[in-house]
Amino acid sequence: MPGYSEFYFNVDHGYLEGLVRGFKAGILTSADYVNLAQCETLEDLKLHLQTTDYGNFLANETGPLTVSTIDEKLKTKLLTEFHYFRNHAFEPLATFLNFVTYSYMIDNVILLITGTLHQRPIAELAPKCHPLGSFEQMEAVSIASNPTELFNAILVDTPLAAFFQDCLSENDLDEMNIEIMRNKLYKSYLEAFYKFCEKQGGTTAEIMRPILEFEADRRAFIITINSFGTELSKDDREKLYPTCGKLYPEGLHLLANADDYEQVKRVAEYYADYKAVFEGVGSGTGEKTLEDAFFEHEVKLNVLAFNNQFHFGVFYAYVKLKEQECRNIVWIAECISQRHRTKINNYIPIF
Amino acid sequence: MGSLFRSEEVCLAQLFLQSASAYSCISELGERGLLEFRDLNPKVSPFQRRFVGEVRRCEEMEKTFTFLQQELRAAGRLPAPCPESPRAPAAREALRVQEQSEQLAQELREVSRSRSSLRDRLRDLRQHLHVLREGQRFTSLPVGPGVPAGLGREPILDPSLHHHLDRKINFVAGVIHPWRVTAFERLLWRACRGYLVASFVEMPEPMEDPATGESITWVIFLISYWGEQIGQKIRKISNCFHCQVYGYPESEASRTEAITRLHGQIQELSTLEETEKYLAEVLDKVAQVLPTWRVQVQKMKAIYLVLNQCSFDVTKKCLIAEVWCPVRDLTQVQDALRQGSVSGSCFVQRVPTTESPPTLIRTNKFTAGFQSIVDAYGVASYQEVNPAPYAIITFPFIFAIMFGDVGHGLLMFLFALWMVLYEDSPRLRQGTNEIWLTFFEGRYLILLMGAFSIYTGFIYNECFSKATAIFPSAWSVATMANHSSWSSAYLATHPSLTLDPNVTGVFQGPYPFGIDPIWSLATNHLNFLNSFKMKMSVVLGIVHMGFGVMLGVFNHVHFQQRHRLVLEFLPEMIFLLALFGYLVFLIFYKWIKFSAADSRVAPSILIHFIDMFLFTSNAENLPLYPGQVPVQMVLVVLALASVPVLLLGTPLYQWCRQRAPRTVRPRAHDFAEIFMHQAIHTIEYCLGCVSNTASYLRLWALSLAHAQLSEVLWSMVMRNGFVGLSYVGGVVLVPVFAAFAVLTVAILLVMEGLSAFLHALRLHWVEFQNKFYVGAGYKLCPFAFAPDTWE
Repeated sequence: MPGYSEFYFNVDHGYLEGLVRGFKAGILTSADYVNLAQCETLEDLKLHLQTTDYGNFLANETGPLTVSTIDEKLKTKLLTEFHYFRNHAFEPLATFLNFVTYSYMIDNVILLITGTLHQRPIAELAPKCHPLGSFEQMEAVSIASNPTELFNAILVDTPLAAFFQDCLSENDLDEMNIEIMRNKLYKSYLEAFYKFCEKQGGTTAEIMRPILEFEADRRAFIITINSFGTELSKDDREKLYPTCGKLYPEGLHLLANADDYEQVKRVAEYYADYKAVFEGVGSGTGEKTLEDAFFEHEVKLNVLAFNNQFHFGVFYAYVKLKEQECRNIVWIAECISQRHRTKINNYIPIF
Repeated sequence: MGSLFRSEEVCLAQLFLQSASAYSCISELGERGLLEFRDLNPKVSPFQRRFVGEVRRCEEMEKTFTFLQQELRAAGRLPAPCPESPRAPAAREALRVQEQSEQLAQELREVSRSRSSLRDRLRDLRQHLHVLREGQRFTSLPVGPGVPAGLGREPILDPSLHHHLDRKINFVAGVIHPWRVTAFERLLWRACRGYLVASFVEMPEPMEDPATGESITWVIFLISYWGEQIGQKIRKISNCFHCQVYGYPESEASRTEAITRLHGQIQELSTLEETEKYLAEVLDKVAQVLPTWRVQVQKMKAIYLVLNQCSFDVTKKCLIAEVWCPVRDLTQVQDALRQGSVSGSCFVQRVPTTESPPTLIRTNKFTAGFQSIVDAYGVASYQEVNPAPYAIITFPFIFAIMFGDVGHGLLMFLFALWMVLYEDSPRLRQGTNEIWLTFFEGRYLILLMGAFSIYTGFIYNECFSKATAIFPSAWSVATMANHSSWSSAYLATHPSLTLDPNVTGVFQGPYPFGIDPIWSLATNHLNFLNSFKMKMSVVLGIVHMGFGVMLGVFNHVHFQQRHRLVLEFLPEMIFLLALFGYLVFLIFYKWIKFSAADSRVAPSILIHFIDMFLFTSNAENLPLYPGQVPVQMVLVVLALASVPVLLLGTPLYQWCRQRAPRTVRPRAHDFAEIFMHQAIHTIEYCLGCVSNTASYLRLWALSLAHAQLSEVLWSMVMRNGFVGLSYVGGVVLVPVFAAFAVLTVAILLVMEGLSAFLHALRLHWVEFQNKFYVGAGYKLCPFAFAPDTWE
């Protein structure tokens, strides 16, 4: 019964929505970031984080504090919260939350395959995977030698199987093919997620539409820019673009035919949002990179999700904002530990 | 007790602490718990403060303690309770604690590491043994020549059968977590396209999972395969599934040999016991010292956090702390400083302030419950009249008016008495049930509520809804019967008869105490009680509110605002008394003036009261006394005239003071704001007098409801038990009484009690306290090492 979700939303999902809004209040504010950026050592950073919602999450760390421990603990905290949501969720929120994890699963699979290709032992790779996207058969990915085997032996049981239909080919797994596979997986994933949100209708669709459209378009831009100077043909490139964004179809055509960065920028100028993003980018030392500009726009969209009630978008937005927060803290911690303070303010504040 | 009337005098003071003795001074003050420290560096973030290093050191120690505690808990031990509060450690002692705790932790870590490695080794060996043993079932040759060689009996894979085919069969054997079995099996099948035979069997005994420490039943697997490539793949997959893979010799003989070897190795691992014993010793040591250390370090950390709030003087030799201090305790503070300081140069000095100090009202176990009722509405402004001492009497009394029943009151009283008598028993005190603790905290309140309910129960003459005849009734039925010469036949045909008080001898004057029990037989019982309870509610309500207005006088006098006596208290009092005080007068006058003889011509107070406001008189309603109309007119005019005084008095007075040249005040009062405030107050008061008086009628309503409910319970439940004076009747009475008792406690005591409590609370908070109480203060929270914050 799309359109009337307000009436019965709270019956199934009210508790979790309340919870996620409470958690959202614990997201660091820009005042917190200003304080964090003033820290001299990682111990200072820890002391300051203790005054926020993170509390004593580092209290039981023996031995010297490192950036990787901080990163790990931040991720563990997010994972705990997410699992709590997932374990208490009813359908269709449960499926929605599963969809959120799929993107991390894709990243993990690709990471493991690439690592195996470079002869790294699996024990070294496994800790680098994002915990949100870990699944049982994940580590077995390394035994596959080509995509078909990967699919038939391992991924066929996982939720990723549905996205894999396009990637089945007898090609060997080399770096180029892996990258293509990643983008194809992502394309099917985004399209499926988009379709799922549309099916939910109501506010969920309303909120998730711009977020996923942006995600799709961002991938299209980045694929285009990264493919310059590689063997990827323009036709093949177009096949990788997710088709659920605002750029579809005209913008994607134009992107497919672009030859350099300037042409990409010209395509972006047809779209008000992306024009602003590209205009904010500079090549100087103190200026934003395109990646950061995209992140900033993403944060803006995710924050908007909290303005509406009775929808699932808040869960997606919360995970993404929290991930951005992890990136920010790790960035600041990195800058502190490497005594490289000039770029310490390049984090992306959320509130 | 003196401070219960208004909050104690509290002053702002500065402590000058020499850097060397600041720590011991604060420690001494913390033990006594006298002062509230103010943060003098609110803008400095926590990691830029002065004693951040010390705080961090305390946190380091706490981290070590947490580790020790975890180890204790893992070993299933509880640390011994802390005997008495140890004082905060001096610097050298703190260093010793730190050293010792780290040493202990290090020792513990080493021992548990060696223990766990030994355990791992043991588990490994035992698992290997199980794998080999269980594997036998699949791979061994059939025993004995007598067994016929049939397919069903033959082992699934007999290596000897294949030797002649010159194909080498290899094995991978190991254990896997039971949850992963299905996924593992499926993946093996898919990845190796079926070129293998895998068998799974549960291990006969559960073993510990090294990752979680839980005891689980592992699954042993044995995979036989052909070809080296597949073997590698299988090894990789089993690696991915975190399986423990063990060597599995291919020949039967070497397997048996391996088993005996493993047995031997397991026997050799006897050092494990010694390690366990040593670990227990270390844990004993930890359990003994840990609680004291924890408390000590907690105190130490608290002291440094307080020191972080202090600022330095210019010479940097002296720390300055700003505190709120009760004036009465200044000497004690001085005393504490003298004890804490080495050279005796720490001192306290009062500083003047314009800020409103925090409220401190000292309570004891009796008054605490009443004070918390008042505090729940709002903490008193500094030195304002505290309603709590009056609530000690009025609260239980107002409750009892709504809960009047001797039986119910007695039950409540006994329950509270039990709590009061056994209040020191730790079983009652340390309950974890929040609802129980709420009752326990209010035990003295409940005690008084019960006692007052017994009193009002006697007034209403109700005990479990039944009247008691302590004194003989003042009504004589015999006289009436003789006078009217009622015959037996007449009595049989007339179910209800009238007693006429005008007949001499029938009514012999009022009952000595409370309601005459004969009313419980009357059909107009309810009409009589309603009239009585309604009037009683109005009278008590107006007395209660009038008392509230009177208490305002003490505030005006104390705060040197004598103009408010004339401009606020006086008009308020006139307004209340001229209208509602007069109503009370009418009620009493009519009670006294009219007796049973002339009751037929008695006028209605209600109509008189309405006529009073309309300035009319009703010809059918006789006047109560001569000259009633002019008196009433004067009263109404007085009341109405007091409204503009109340509205304009204070603002105009302030305005005049401002204009007067001799008192030029630097701070300009906003006249409009004062006027608005006063207007709101006036409207609230005048309307409030009407609505609050009506609000007191809840006393009538609630007591009526209580009486009716208990009567219903008696007649619908208990009376069913009175089936006859036989053995059957006795048996029936048991369950009926049980039901009656349960319902009485659940509905009449708990539910009705809570409802009456809530209404009494409302009457105090709204109707009584809004006449004088502001309640805009904040509590004094002294820095103290309270025992309940440990652990």
